[in-house]
Amino acid sequence: MSAIKKDAAKNWVGQPLPRKEENRLLRGRGKFADDIKLREMAYLRFVRSPYAHARIVSVDTSAAEILAGVVCVLNGAEIAAQTQPFIEIGPEPCAKIKDYPLAVSKVRYQGEPVVAVVAESPSLADDAAELVQIEYDALDPVVDAEVALTDKSILHEEAGTNRVWNGVFEYGDVDKAFREAAYVVKIDRMHFHRFSSTPLENNVVIARWNPKDDRIYYECNNSFPSFAIQFLSAHLGVHIDRIRVETSDIGGSFGIKITSYPQMAVCALASKKAGGRPVKWVETRTEHITSSAHGNERTFLDTRAALDKNGVITAVVSRHIDDCGAYPRYEPLGCVIWSQVFPGVYRFKNARIDFMQAVTNKCPVGPNRGYSRMQHLWFLERVVDICGHELGIPTDEIRLRNYIRPEEFPYTTPNGCVYDSGNYPRMLQVAKARIVWDEWKSKQLTARKEGRLIGIGIGTTLDSGTNNFGQSQIVNPGAPFSGNSQGANCKLDIYGEVVVSVGSCPQGQGHETTAAQVVADVLSIHPDRITVRTGFDTERNVHTGFSGTYASQFAVSGLSAVHGAAQKLRAEMKRLGAFLLETKEDDLEFGTGEQGPEVRAMSTGKSINYWGLANIVNVNSAVLPPELYEVTLNCRYIWRAPFKVPDKQRKYGSLTLTYASQLHIAVIEIERDTFIPRILDYVAVDDCGTVINPPIVEGQVYGATAHGIGAALMENCVYDAVGNMLTSTFSDYTPITAMNMPRVKYDHIETPSPHSYSGAKGMGEGGAAPIHTISAALQDALFANGIIIDDSFNNADSLFRAMVRKEIGQAEKLVTVERRV
Amino acid sequence: MAIKFAGDFEVKRTPDEVYDFLSDPNKFASLLPDFQGLSIQDPTHFTVKVNVGISYIRGTAEIKMELVESDRPKRALYKGQGSMAGGNVALTAAFDLSPLDSGTRVAWQGEAQIFGGLASMAGGLLEPLGKKQVQKLIDGLQAALR
Repeated sequence: MSAIKKDAAKNWVGQPLPRKEENRLLRGRGKFADDIKLREMAYLRFVRSPYAHARIVSVDTSAAEILAGVVCVLNGAEIAAQTQPFIEIGPEPCAKIKDYPLAVSKVRYQGEPVVAVVAESPSLADDAAELVQIEYDALDPVVDAEVALTDKSILHEEAGTNRVWNGVFEYGDVDKAFREAAYVVKIDRMHFHRFSSTPLENNVVIARWNPKDDRIYYECNNSFPSFAIQFLSAHLGVHIDRIRVETSDIGGSFGIKITSYPQMAVCALASKKAGGRPVKWVETRTEHITSSAHGNERTFLDTRAALDKNGVITAVVSRHIDDCGAYPRYEPLGCVIWSQVFPGVYRFKNARIDFMQAVTNKCPVGPNRGYSRMQHLWFLERVVDICGHELGIPTDEIRLRNYIRPEEFPYTTPNGCVYDSGNYPRMLQVAKARIVWDEWKSKQLTARKEGRLIGIGIGTTLDSGTNNFGQSQIVNPGAPFSGNSQGANCKLDIYGEVVVSVGSCPQGQGHETTAAQVVADVLSIHPDRITVRTGFDTERNVHTGFSGTYASQFAVSGLSAVHGAAQKLRAEMKRLGAFLLETKEDDLEFGTGEQGPEVRAMSTGKSINYWGLANIVNVNSAVLPPELYEVTLNCRYIWRAPFKVPDKQRKYGSLTLTYASQLHIAVIEIERDTFIPRILDYVAVDDCGTVINPPIVEGQVYGATAHGIGAALMENCVYDAVGNMLTSTFSDYTPITAMNMPRVKYDHIETPSPHSYSGAKGMGEGGAAPIHTISAALQDALFANGIIIDDSFNNADSLFRAMVRKEIGQAEKLVTVERRV
Repeated sequence: MAIKFAGDFEVKRTPDEVYDFLSDPNKFASLLPDFQGLSIQDPTHFTVKVNVGISYIRGTAEIKMELVESDRPKRALYKGQGSMAGGNVALTAAFDLSPLDSGTRVAWQGEAQIFGGLASMAGGLLEPLGKKQVQKLIDGLQAALR
């Protein structure tokens, strides 16, 4: 009797296992949507609006249509005649907005698609697109959300207003807190800028509306396909089961690729018009920057913070105006999603936020990494940071006085969210140790005496993962969404291979590896013996209405589903094994024997390998007794998050399951001559609970840090007064590259989540932390010069202007402090 | 993106002669830099074609012009709209004439509003290039009215 080798001797979850997908992806062997070439494929090019706001007077596509090689041309009127407007998530007036994938009677942002040209080749489609003549009658553009709310120039006449949504989130006794405050700090205005993501791979759609079976087949890189098909089904009037979506490898999304469903609609309609030929659209980089989706821009007005005599914040009030661009699309979910992190990492119980969202003549926004929460968390970090500076409390000290304490977890926020675990003071301690805080403080003092502008900033952020979609009902009580779920399938294939399918569509997060680690632990085999089907496919039947890859949830929802499916499979294997090995289920052990993975009876040493088990179920089933007919070794499991529908009136309830946290510290010097901010030192400390795969987590932290540093110092979607986007290429948008990245010192702590089976918390959206941190460091560098950092974007130009405004006495006084002690 | 231009020059012709020149596209259109062609629809509407070359953006712009204010021999105001590769443009150009002892002072002002990707891709080049082209036009006018 040979011994069984138990690979479970080491727990695969938590091991620094190299990514299974790395060999494929790093050697150029991945399969991306644009790699797919189909017979009779035609190519689509959009003709886009040069105007931010204009009526369409006429559309003349005749010259394009007669060009040799042009397959067909589509315009907005044609689409409107055969489809329904896309579903709006918000209630009226938002619900009245008529959103079609091509502009019908007017255009509402520069870059909005007006005509789609389909041709035999991409270059022919380009040529034909240039022949389309569109006459416009320019209208007054609205590029500022505050101006939009005056409704002087309305984008969507059918809605009658530019206001998309408004709600007041009030908790505790705000007035009492302000009456009793020792200090009241008032901040007139702050602004979170518009930026986006720059995935290596832009949006790609291949659609085929097959006339033979009247089904639509998509191969694309949408990152939330189960959401997309719900919108496409209603828009196209096609039963959802008639839409098949497949994704393969995806080169990044960061949430932005969730909103590619309008382009998916156009490609399907173009395919239909082309007689069922497959139609491919590959987005250019400029199209991606100008017209895919941006992150939400937000303005914070009339902010007041009440503090007690010890510098503990007791209340915050503010008015927030969110700019969602020309069409709400995924919005107004952002109007509530920020409230997942309502108090941030702080303990204050009293707050009133008046939240308003408006449409403007700019690119629609989408759920960009850190979606809606990072704007709010930046706001709170600025409030805390400014309070510290104004009251003379060191910035580390004011945070320690206000952080939620470790012993308070699970912590219920004023709006009913439950923070599962965390230890913010410990993270600060670790970060300070890694950056050698005291040494930098000492260097800073010396440098200041030399006239140098050096600042040290702390940024603490939360990455709330696994949404309760019931929060959509706070925005729209009629919304048909609540809870969250994810599906997975785990099976022994006919020859005994372990095959896992999940409803996610990874874009670099390493799902193939982490799913294998989870199953390996359940079956006590090596992860290399497990095949994980990557990419989404509606036909695999492992998706729910929430499936996709977004909102920092795979570690919880995806892996919980995988774990559940693997456990079901293990249970079936035990049942079958006990029958075949003539023993009891609790006499069985799992592991790897001489003939591969097997189930073995500990009492007798008899074993059967996976091939034997699979063979009996699949091709030798006469051996099976009827009582085992339900054993399929093909186990589907749907994991459901234990959420309830939130209280819509009170805007109260658990909105997210897990709360990973990030704490960063940056040391920045602003060069005196050039005002270029240079990062001298940087540390990132992460807490995502139990770490499933350390290198994957570390990689996510570096990526998110790069994203955030880029956003804070380099990446800004700039519009001029008439709605031209002035940063439509990498020359002007200047995404961060390795050349601009400082050396990041990484560390982590683990506070396991009680809300997930493994203790893991979703992570990957910590891109906000650097924005908070860099704003804080710049504030620290410039506070002595009387400058308040009131914008999330700061580059040499804006810092120079701020300094000049101060020196010539034209700077507005943004902050006042009322001292009552 | 709006680019504004303004200036003045003096010529030895009378205001009537200057006005007649400025209000007749047959006379002044060919002075436009990179002029390609002209078609006149009626006394106040005409279309000019000019070559456009801004960095790698090259092509022909077709600009529909209208004489919207005509106060002979004091003032002429044109408005125009055109499209080219990468964007659209809206133009206004005004000429205010005042008599001098030995000629006419021509005060001119214009604005070009650029819409579309052109504003982004060539944004930094547009203003100096536009000013250079306008100066060429003014030099041409001065030479023609000498």
